[in-house]
Amino acid sequence: MRLSRRGLLRAGLAGTAATALGGLASGCAVPTGSTGRNMVLWYWSGGLSDTVVKKAKARYDSAVDLDAIQIGGYYRSKLITTMTGQAHVPDIAGLKGEDMASYLPNADQFVDLRTLGAEKLKSQYLDWKWQQGVAPDGSLVGFPIDVGPVVQYYQPAVYEKAGLAYEPDDVSKEMGTWDQFFAAGEQLKKRVRGAFILTDITSVFEMSIGQGTQRFVDEDKHFIGDQEHVRVCWDRAVEAKRRGLASSIVTGTPDSISATESGELPSQLNASWAAGDLKLQYPKTKGRWRVANCPGGPSNVGGSFLAITKACREPEKAFEIITWLLNADNQAQGFMDAGLFPSTPASYELKKLRENDPFFGDQITMDVYGPAAEKIPVAFNSPYDVALGQPIRDEIKNVGVLGKNPEKAWKDAMSKCRRIADHLGVSY
Amino acid sequence: MATAPLVEKPPAPVAEPPAAHPKKGILSYWRLYAAISPFYLLFLAFGLIPVGFSLYLSFHRWDGLGSMEYAGLSQYRYLLSDTDFWSSIGNTLIIWALATFPMIFLAMITAVMLNSAVRFKNVYRFAYFLPNVTSVVAVAIIFGSVFSTNFGLVNALLQAVGLDQIAWLNTPWGIKVAIATLMTWQWTGYNAIIFLAGLQTIPGELYEAARMDGAGPVQTFFRITLPLMRPVLLFVLVISTVTGLQSFSEPQVLLQSTANESTFSGGPDHAGRTMVLYFFQQTFDNNDFGYGAAVAWGIFLVVVIFSIVNWRLVQRRGED
Repeated sequence: MRLSRRGLLRAGLAGTAATALGGLASGCAVPTGSTGRNMVLWYWSGGLSDTVVKKAKARYDSAVDLDAIQIGGYYRSKLITTMTGQAHVPDIAGLKGEDMASYLPNADQFVDLRTLGAEKLKSQYLDWKWQQGVAPDGSLVGFPIDVGPVVQYYQPAVYEKAGLAYEPDDVSKEMGTWDQFFAAGEQLKKRVRGAFILTDITSVFEMSIGQGTQRFVDEDKHFIGDQEHVRVCWDRAVEAKRRGLASSIVTGTPDSISATESGELPSQLNASWAAGDLKLQYPKTKGRWRVANCPGGPSNVGGSFLAITKACREPEKAFEIITWLLNADNQAQGFMDAGLFPSTPASYELKKLRENDPFFGDQITMDVYGPAAEKIPVAFNSPYDVALGQPIRDEIKNVGVLGKNPEKAWKDAMSKCRRIADHLGVSY
Repeated sequence: MATAPLVEKPPAPVAEPPAAHPKKGILSYWRLYAAISPFYLLFLAFGLIPVGFSLYLSFHRWDGLGSMEYAGLSQYRYLLSDTDFWSSIGNTLIIWALATFPMIFLAMITAVMLNSAVRFKNVYRFAYFLPNVTSVVAVAIIFGSVFSTNFGLVNALLQAVGLDQIAWLNTPWGIKVAIATLMTWQWTGYNAIIFLAGLQTIPGELYEAARMDGAGPVQTFFRITLPLMRPVLLFVLVISTVTGLQSFSEPQVLLQSTANESTFSGGPDHAGRTMVLYFFQQTFDNNDFGYGAAVAWGIFLVVVIFSIVNWRLVQRRGED
């Protein structure tokens, strides 16, 4: 058969049009969720231990085809876009701790894990962490992956030079309160030229908020960021500024890297996972760090959850996989692989997590992390927390960085909060 | 979907004026319409419908997952009273001005220099164009180092001249200058290439005639080059306005903050929070999709107004 050029063109055109339209049409008829044999798990790089994920694939291979996908970029928006589109929704989805408050009001999009027998396992997990995965209606949305207990990372050599306590136990004891910590900061500044105990005052405010049982908005959608518990944290950060305890260095810049290496910034209040960052960023400082308690008590930064979406065809199987992925043994593996601090206290006793860490001068860091993780206070985290905490955070930053008058900054923060509360329908 | 039958139809008579049978005319051109349809179909699916949806969204309250609530004009009412939005417009315009005017000036000089006889012209063109194709994120990270307080290149130069250090990324003006410098660096070469293309369309006879009449190089530039370059200048200005007013990655990466802060805050006092950064913060940090859509339409209006003003200014200057 001879095809004329015109005929060929037409065939090509028709084909293109058919593909284009077919592509559009098929968009309306995709199956949601898995088809039974296939089990899709969404997480992000470093969100789960790759070793454990691989093991899970092999372990459940006979029952389902576990397809674990690492989603890059802005994870949360990709997940909610997919869920809203109601197509190709993963069966199991990782939920980041900082986004948890925004997922919980939409608990109906997820399977209530209580219906799958989650309560039986509750005692194996940290109670405060478990509570964070519970929605306002009582259903359990998120199953605990990891937590981020905050500790004080410090360089003992610099502390010693300043005449301060420098053994971890002594530091935990003698800098256990904020007042003691600030006094130590003044001494450090006097004795070691150019050294500051704080990089910025924002961390003081942030950790102090985390040490409390209330945040910015309560369960009744009422703004409480103007109350005493926030004001105390604010005043504490302002005091650090007034006493000149914070450097003018911006975190994450070359300045902060070199100041950290040279010992001018010998201390960091940060979560357990920051140990991994320290090791990556400052390999040369190996052995020059120790870990002690955070002044003012334990708090938490970060930590995530796994959830089963409503699109999942086999919730029981998915739950079995989740609970296996996150049992005490595998969480220990997660800590070794990816610095994911276990939410299962049983892991803290395991021998492989109680090894001497050469980066921290052979200290057994679990002795500090473990007790901190168990004592973290429970605070209600409202979906409006981010929006209404932001003005206060912004203004404390202005006080710290630009030297803005603290009283004026507080007033500005409060008037902005009230405006935002009005807009979001939060009472005050 | 069935494919069209591959029956040979007689080709449409081309000479037939479509006005005679308007209906038949359009139908007889179906192949041509089919040929250009893929773009329009894709644009409809991925351009027009989302745009329409964002307009619809801006009249609602939505957290991105749950159900939508009708909110009427309240998002727009809040937008008008939202001082943060207005200050982000101010930031954007200041950064845009700080970046665009030096950029156009430098690009023009570069283009004129390239247009005169130099060797390795293509090498230069390539080199000038290179900044434009580098990743903004990578550039912003480098510029973060360049502008850092104690170890930054800029401060090292300042000190070499005997001036004081400036905490660039910690002061409202420093932040704006740093972002503007980055944008200037990135776009100068690109615009220089466009100017160069414009310069090469100016006939050489004009220059020769000017030389005969005894015009100096400066006079030639202002009397011949600039007037004839007006359309190109206008094009560059409008494009720079549209891209400059939508700056997002530059401040976002340059002012990346610590883990417990939003990456969309724009630094101390929000000095680097541009309109699009603000839109992002409202939408994705606060999960306030309805308000985010309203902010996006606010940005759209600002860009349109600004482009029109630009257009008018350049047009008028030409008529004087």
